[in-house]
Amino acid sequence: MSNPRQPNSNEPTTHFGFQDVPESQKAEKVAQVFHSVAARYDIMNDVLSGGMHRLWKRFTIELSGVRRGNKVLDIAGGTGDLARKFSSLVGPEGEVVLADINASMLKVGRDRLLDKGVANNISFVQADAEKLPFPDNHFDVVTIAFGLRNVTHKEDALRSMLRVLKPGGRLLVLEFSKPSNPLLSKFYDAYSFKFMPLAGKLITDDADSYRYLAESIRMHPDQDTLKAMMSDAGFERVTFHNMTGGIVALHRGIKP
Amino acid sequence: MFTQFAFASAESAVNRLLKLDSTAHARLAPLTGKVIAIACTAPAITVYLIPLEDGIQLAQQWHAPVDCRLTAPTTLLLKLLSSADKTSILHHPDVALDGNSALLMALAEILQSLELDWEYEVSRWLGPVPTALLSGHLRSRRDWLVQSAHSLHLDATDYLAEESRALVGRTEADMRFTEIDQLKLDLDRLDARIARLLKRNQKPL
Repeated sequence: MSNPRQPNSNEPTTHFGFQDVPESQKAEKVAQVFHSVAARYDIMNDVLSGGMHRLWKRFTIELSGVRRGNKVLDIAGGTGDLARKFSSLVGPEGEVVLADINASMLKVGRDRLLDKGVANNISFVQADAEKLPFPDNHFDVVTIAFGLRNVTHKEDALRSMLRVLKPGGRLLVLEFSKPSNPLLSKFYDAYSFKFMPLAGKLITDDADSYRYLAESIRMHPDQDTLKAMMSDAGFERVTFHNMTGGIVALHRGIKP
Repeated sequence: MFTQFAFASAESAVNRLLKLDSTAHARLAPLTGKVIAIACTAPAITVYLIPLEDGIQLAQQWHAPVDCRLTAPTTLLLKLLSSADKTSILHHPDVALDGNSALLMALAEILQSLELDWEYEVSRWLGPVPTALLSGHLRSRRDWLVQSAHSLHLDATDYLAEESRALVGRTEADMRFTEIDQLKLDLDRLDARIARLLKRNQKPL
């Protein structure tokens, strides 16, 4: 009898950073990375981005068009930065769902939000972005910030997000992307492959996780490719906004 | 991103100020979730204000319907913020107001009537005794400045009107204005009488 955890030689592979791994193993490997960094995720975000991640998320909120009474799904919500703001924007008559596939990240996010008194209109769901456990046409806005690159089958995840959105609903994908300036690109490469693992080693004693972070960013589709993927999944009026010279891009698509 | 940083800093400052007034959040509660756009024509910039339970969100853009939009140049916006008579400024030809104006008036009223408990904030850093000494000193300085300014105003008025005779005194000016008003009325009556006489003369006998 074959072991289901043993990789099958015929199984399709996918990338995990710069490595090729069987598809069935990627989710587990990503989970290990996030279990490892969950406790210091916020500190590392601030250190590595110089606080810029707060401005990128702020721009995402501005473009979301979230109103009082809306239903919002924040996938890969991590420590709940977006969910917290959405919770106060939708008010008590609205609903926010913070979903993350990783139990450690979800626990950190839940504890952090509860400590800040965010509880009345928010729920926490451990869910896979490729198979979202929500009814069709349910949410007004779906966001995924710095999560899509860790998903094994991105096309399946985008279709799943389209399914749970109401017609006219908006998907916002905030993700690392490709710098538009070659000079910035060189600096960014040096920063990613030298400074990030070093900072990871010093702060979380885990250089490998931050090496994976840098590698996974390089393997993620660039702005135009992701835009095409969203259009192929069925989104309309897909646009993207580059931020910080294209290091991060915010894609937005509307469900027809 | 620089604009985002500026907005984030301004929002943080506004919310820190609101926290210094213990009643501000309760007064903002009826406005929660409403979107107020303030569009400045010169320089061209729009600020979206969204009152929330924990403060006010400032945004450079907001992709949701706006409940109230005020369009005006900077000078009039500043006047609106500081003036007690807001209605007269809103009727200015350069000011355009769309949507629910009561929201804007309510927000301006709340911001204008903030009573900041700065002593609480200072006492967190210095302790209660130094804060009490500092606030007592600052209060006496402020009272002295107010009294001095009032006294200077009275003295200057008195000197200009009575001693140097550079300006006319208020009582004297009021009397002159009354005489001018009376003269204007008399002239109007005379005009009306002449017009009536001319009209009568033009009639065929």
